[in-house]
Amino acid sequence: MKSSSTLLGLTGLAIPLLLSACGQPQGSEDASQDAGVVNVFSARHYASDDAVYAAFTEETGIEVNVIEAGGDLLVERVRTDGDRSPADVVITVDAGRLYRAAEAGLFQPAGLDEAMEQIPAYLHHPDDLWFGFATRARVIVYAPERVDVSELSGYEDLADPRFEGRVCVRSSNNVYNQSLLAAMIDRLGADGAEAWAQGVVDNLARAPQGADTDQIRAVAAGDCDVSLVNHYYWARIANSGNPADQAVANATELFFPENTHINVSGAGLAAGAPNTENARSFLRFLLSPEAQRAFAELTNEFPAVASTQYDNALLDELHDFSADDLNVNVLGENASEAQRIFDRVGWQ
Amino acid sequence: MAVSDIHDDAAEASRSRGGFAPLWGAVFVALICAAPLIAVAIVAVTGPWTDYFGHIAGTRLPVWLANTAIVGVIAVAAAGSIGSASAWTVARYAFPGRRAFEWLLALPLAMPAYAAAYGWYDLTQSTGPLGGLVPVVRGPVGAGFIFAFTLYPYVYLLAREAFASQSSEAYDAARTLGCGPIEAFQRAALPMARPAIAAGLALVVMESLADFGAVVHLGAPTLSVGIIRAWAGEGSVADAARLALVLVSLAFLIFFIERFQRRRARQAAASGRKRPPRRVQLSPVRSALAIGLLSLPLMAGLIIPMGRLGWLATHSAVGRDLGAALWHSVQLAAISGGVAAILGVIAAYALRTRRLPAVLAARLAGLGYAVPGAVAAVGVLALFGWTQDGMDAVWTRLFGMPLPVLLSGGILGLIFAYQSRFAAAAIGPAESALARITPTLDGAARTLGAGPVEVAIRVHWPLIRSGALLAGLLVFVEVLKELPATMILRPFNFDTLAVTAHNYASDERLGMAALPALLIALAALGPMIWIARQMTRSERLVRKEAE
Repeated sequence: MKSSSTLLGLTGLAIPLLLSACGQPQGSEDASQDAGVVNVFSARHYASDDAVYAAFTEETGIEVNVIEAGGDLLVERVRTDGDRSPADVVITVDAGRLYRAAEAGLFQPAGLDEAMEQIPAYLHHPDDLWFGFATRARVIVYAPERVDVSELSGYEDLADPRFEGRVCVRSSNNVYNQSLLAAMIDRLGADGAEAWAQGVVDNLARAPQGADTDQIRAVAAGDCDVSLVNHYYWARIANSGNPADQAVANATELFFPENTHINVSGAGLAAGAPNTENARSFLRFLLSPEAQRAFAELTNEFPAVASTQYDNALLDELHDFSADDLNVNVLGENASEAQRIFDRVGWQ
Repeated sequence: MAVSDIHDDAAEASRSRGGFAPLWGAVFVALICAAPLIAVAIVAVTGPWTDYFGHIAGTRLPVWLANTAIVGVIAVAAAGSIGSASAWTVARYAFPGRRAFEWLLALPLAMPAYAAAYGWYDLTQSTGPLGGLVPVVRGPVGAGFIFAFTLYPYVYLLAREAFASQSSEAYDAARTLGCGPIEAFQRAALPMARPAIAAGLALVVMESLADFGAVVHLGAPTLSVGIIRAWAGEGSVADAARLALVLVSLAFLIFFIERFQRRRARQAAASGRKRPPRRVQLSPVRSALAIGLLSLPLMAGLIIPMGRLGWLATHSAVGRDLGAALWHSVQLAAISGGVAAILGVIAAYALRTRRLPAVLAARLAGLGYAVPGAVAAVGVLALFGWTQDGMDAVWTRLFGMPLPVLLSGGILGLIFAYQSRFAAAAIGPAESALARITPTLDGAARTLGAGPVEVAIRVHWPLIRSGALLAGLLVFVEVLKELPATMILRPFNFDTLAVTAHNYASDERLGMAALPALLIALAALGPMIWIARQMTRSERLVRKEAE
């Protein structure tokens, strides 16, 4: 009696679930009805994206289906699904992943020439396979109490003997560190970049640990004086209502070096997209004032379209810097070399 | 993994007397479970070769291996002692609150290790409230303890089940012969529970070594970090697969050594339940001591890290709606747990025959657990890709169009992925429960005229029921926490609690990750209480029969 009621319960659980599996959008069939759908595979998972998807649906009537997962997994899924992949648009938050997706043949040129004119050339894949729609700057966070801003000039400082025992970094597993080093490889050559990474490791106050926000906290607490972080983590704690976070933000400042390294949130049209036209509309919408504004206001990212008007005083304050105009595709080309340099110098 | 300690004549018994042994069915099921691992091996062999192996061998590999060893040893030693000591206390002593501890002690299992790592690191780093007061939880030692405190429930659950069903004769005899309670525990009770404890520890070590999130955050890169780096940094899925096979071989070696050790010190399980254990009433002082000690792992594994995340949550914006995610998680976990319980029992019966194909297939299926989730997910993806291609080709020939169903991105695919990944968690408890049934019991029942299936249903089932339930529960909790496969194989617009928690945590919004993480623990609570009740009920039943 007991076990049969358990079984019954399980079946009750199973039925709606299996039905929901059958009701999954298959892409092309749906496209013929109404405005149809667009299937988005995204490595992002922010509230701003929900807002952008909702606004897109409201404006066009096109439903947005989303799968969010880590960038590497996303690329692998679309790749192994091959011709049968339902993906229309692939979004990742690092140029290296976009590069790899392009290498694996997952994108086709979107042909959005007019829309592309709104963004700088360096945010645009050379063959129109993908583009960056929002950027994040990887910058130096420092403690103004112990570091005079005049001491800072660029990323090279972190490797300078002046900062021996005063540097914190997070693990080199982090893609933002990989992409920064990939950019250094372009600027200094592989040997120069390796010397820089070695210098940083020699200067470390502690073994790489924690995430970006933890580096900011370590600088505030005096564990070290300088570190590397993406700007929006600092913006987030500075904008937070938590007094402890506010104190951390007050004890630290961001320094944007000359040619600040930027990374992108980027998107491209999937090679086998079943809903091509809807995907194009969606990609165009990512550069619309409404979407660009959402990225700036909800996730503290810099909009790719320079003319975007937004309401975020703190971001506005940070926005005045000179970005490295290295084409972001190069970050992907140099990614594996960067990883090997990290391995060789022992930046764990 | 539990290896049955039944005498060789057990195998003999099932073979010669035609005991219930769904051998080939079980081999088939096990091979299906092992298919993703086999797919990983194929990717490893057929993928392009690079010089990555040479590169890491000369650079990071020694550090990764050293960290792997430290993390593994600490996790096993600490989880083993915490798990078996707490199980013994709860099973054999009576004190106020004992029944609550029975299920409370299992709860840290519901805490994802990476979430516990984030919470503890945040608490103990310089700006945290415990900063400077206690050592920072970091490095391989910190990671080892994080795994011990979040994973000891595997040992606890299996050992408690073993202690509760053990006859107390050996222990009583040891006491009569002058052993103190601790010595009697060590010399009489512990060896008999060894298969169960070993099965729990196997799960602990595999999950620790496969973890990626916690070890990276705490700055203790293990071999699994090397696996993910090969993939994420080098873009070489094949090299990731190769390193994963190294990790799997390591796990296999550990099982082999454990098994070899146990052979040398074979302990016969006491047959039947002649005298079920009686709980010893503790004095008030000792009760307080017991409660204090039992609270420690609960605090370290669940309450303190969860409390920290929860406190951060009070300063965070409200996240996405969690209702749908909760429902999805519970559905997936319940179905997978139910299926796993059945598969686990079938595999355990096959193992009981000790026939080579059965043992190999079941062990192979269990090894999927030692692979980092992301790599296991790649195996499933590759498998689906090949199967889809093959079926599309067949379908096109028959009907002129490709198969109208996409294998990836459906619920069934997801449940398959869970079964293959967590087969070890399903087989272990069922196997250790079945191992305690001596073949003489089968023989007696058969002599009295029962058929093999009847023996299985009427004699075995009441004795292994709690083991099967436990298998279902472990998989239930695992599925609640599972991340990479869920992320990449789920249908559109289908969030689960683990995915939501991870998304916030990976974006460094720890506070917002707290609520979904808390819901995972709460979702696990119900089944845990239910199973604790089931187990006490069957204990009472046995006791009544004995009287």
